[in-house]
Amino acid sequence: MALLSVDGLVVRFRTHEGTIHAVNGVSFDLDEGETLGIVGESGCGKSVTSLAIMRLLPKPAGRIEGGSVRFDGQDLLACSEAEMREMRGRDMAMIFQDPMTSLNPVLTIEEQMVETIQAHRKVGNEEARARAIELLTIVGIPEPENRLRAFPHQFSGGMRQRVMIAMALALAPKLLIADEPTTALDVTIQAQVLELLQRLTTETGTAAILITHDLGVVAGMTQRINVMYAGYIVEAAPTAELFAKPSHPYTVGLLHSIPRLDAVQGEELIPIEGAPPDQRRAPVGCPFAPRCAWRLPDCWTTNPPLVPVRAAEAVVTTGPGATHRVACHNSPTPGEAAAGRPLREGFVAAPPPSAVADELAVVVP
Amino acid sequence: MASGTVAVVRVAPRASRGLWGDAWRRLLRNRPALLGFVFIGVFVGTAVFAPLLAPHDPGALYPPPPDASSGATGPYPPRPEHLMGQDLQGRDEFTRVVYGARISLLVGLGSVIFGVIIGGFVGAIAGAAGGRADNVLMRVVDVLLAIPGILLAIGIVAWLDRGLPQITIAVAVTNAPIFARLLRGGLLAIRESDYVLAARSVGVPTRRLLLRHMLPNSLTPIIVAATLALATAIIDVAGLGFLGLGPPDPRTPEWGTMLTDSTKFLRAAPYLIFFPGLAIVISAVGFNLLGDGLRESLDPRLKK
Repeated sequence: MALLSVDGLVVRFRTHEGTIHAVNGVSFDLDEGETLGIVGESGCGKSVTSLAIMRLLPKPAGRIEGGSVRFDGQDLLACSEAEMREMRGRDMAMIFQDPMTSLNPVLTIEEQMVETIQAHRKVGNEEARARAIELLTIVGIPEPENRLRAFPHQFSGGMRQRVMIAMALALAPKLLIADEPTTALDVTIQAQVLELLQRLTTETGTAAILITHDLGVVAGMTQRINVMYAGYIVEAAPTAELFAKPSHPYTVGLLHSIPRLDAVQGEELIPIEGAPPDQRRAPVGCPFAPRCAWRLPDCWTTNPPLVPVRAAEAVVTTGPGATHRVACHNSPTPGEAAAGRPLREGFVAAPPPSAVADELAVVVP
Repeated sequence: MASGTVAVVRVAPRASRGLWGDAWRRLLRNRPALLGFVFIGVFVGTAVFAPLLAPHDPGALYPPPPDASSGATGPYPPRPEHLMGQDLQGRDEFTRVVYGARISLLVGLGSVIFGVIIGGFVGAIAGAAGGRADNVLMRVVDVLLAIPGILLAIGIVAWLDRGLPQITIAVAVTNAPIFARLLRGGLLAIRESDYVLAARSVGVPTRRLLLRHMLPNSLTPIIVAATLALATAIIDVAGLGFLGLGPPDPRTPEWGTMLTDSTKFLRAAPYLIFFPGLAIVISAVGFNLLGDGLRESLDPRLKK
């Protein structure tokens, strides 16, 4: 029984400009103590998925319109707001992207840490304070007794993110969601904060979801990776397997658009052409088709399901032996994945059917 | 370092004393705001120490100057015993201006405090509850804001009858919608902020979220608006007095009422207009300068 089980999650935002199809049926499981990476570019639904799990979507626009989220045997979507409040912090916690704005500027670090502890534990101020000092020591803040009285603006970005981590892990939650925890930090600090996160989640056995757009960040941190695109999971695999055998053109594109130190001399970066689809339209066909070099005529009309790469394999959703799955009609071969483009003789990406071309109103070469 | 001792140099970063400490320092560097402080000091000092400053009784009638022709009536021009002259009934104008500061401060402060409480309450409910409650409350606020303030105040005094408490309520009601709208707007913006989301993500209770996280962060515009509202409140109170809606007891030294009583002698006794008018200007300008200074020093975007 998985700790977290997301099944067919659909999240839409009802705005004045129309409906945003943010998450379009996402399913994944997470075992206790497991670390899962969710990778994708901005706007692909990574953050929305995690906010939906925490039931923290902005109201009233953001709505969970389908699917289920089961956590620790409970149906989260059926929980009352009061029950959710009890669980947040105690059983599940979240770290946000920007530590500069995630702490309240008018409250001291002490007040914010103590209130987090006291929200869930009936402890006195002294006891909560002692715990806060202990936590700050764990996350590596020097002179915690003095720093506790400081205001957030007296801390650097990296220090603030350490405080956020201390607060998120204050009650040893079963699940920690880290939403781009290092994006706003200096590169040198990034490594420290990631190392800290990894050490603490390993020590406490906390399951973690690490959300990022940086494949380099998840490579060393996670056991499994879900690649998301336009509100879909397009590829899911154990981390090593994903890097070894990327099977979705988008994953291939991501791997080829980041510079690598061990790259063969002269190997060029291949950027992914175009931009993510306009999510105000209900998706038709494969969402990646307009940017894909491997697309077939079918890709424009039918969105492929997420199925095992090796056909007829029984699907295992969690753990190191999780099945490598991909949602693609025309997976790149290992050779093509390495080259970053289709190598088949005479292969040309299928042009869009005229109806789709008109609707997309984009020039497809 | 021949001796081998290591000098530990503690480089103190420019001490930051938090949001309020920094704001206070910026305020003290703001010259107009300092002038505002001086004006307010004069005004509040006069009000507090009125019995010590005033040489006479504000309600008592005093004899005309000895050189006045028999049978002459007031007003009488300034002379050493009566620095600002005497009004129609022979009362000491200086004493009345001094005691008038008490009335203005009391009614002005009372109406702003009362207005902040009503407006803050309405704004907090609208901003925190949202949805239907927000809609209904804000439409009421819109209607109140659409009516010119002094007109609304006149209507309320006419309805409640004349008197200082009634004037206080009237001015409070005209000010309250501004505070309601400000607080609601602040709360709505802060509700979407990262730190409120972060606090919610660790399960901080709703009550605490509202009282400790959202309210303190939306108070700065209220503080600025309240200071500026003190200026308009003083003018509104004087305006009501000038329009004949001041306190019913003619012995009450209210600046606006004093002005209106003296308009008939504008040419013969301009001093009866000048001194109460000057008092109104000093107090109103004082709060305006301080309010502007506060706005600049509290707004981090204007940080130099």
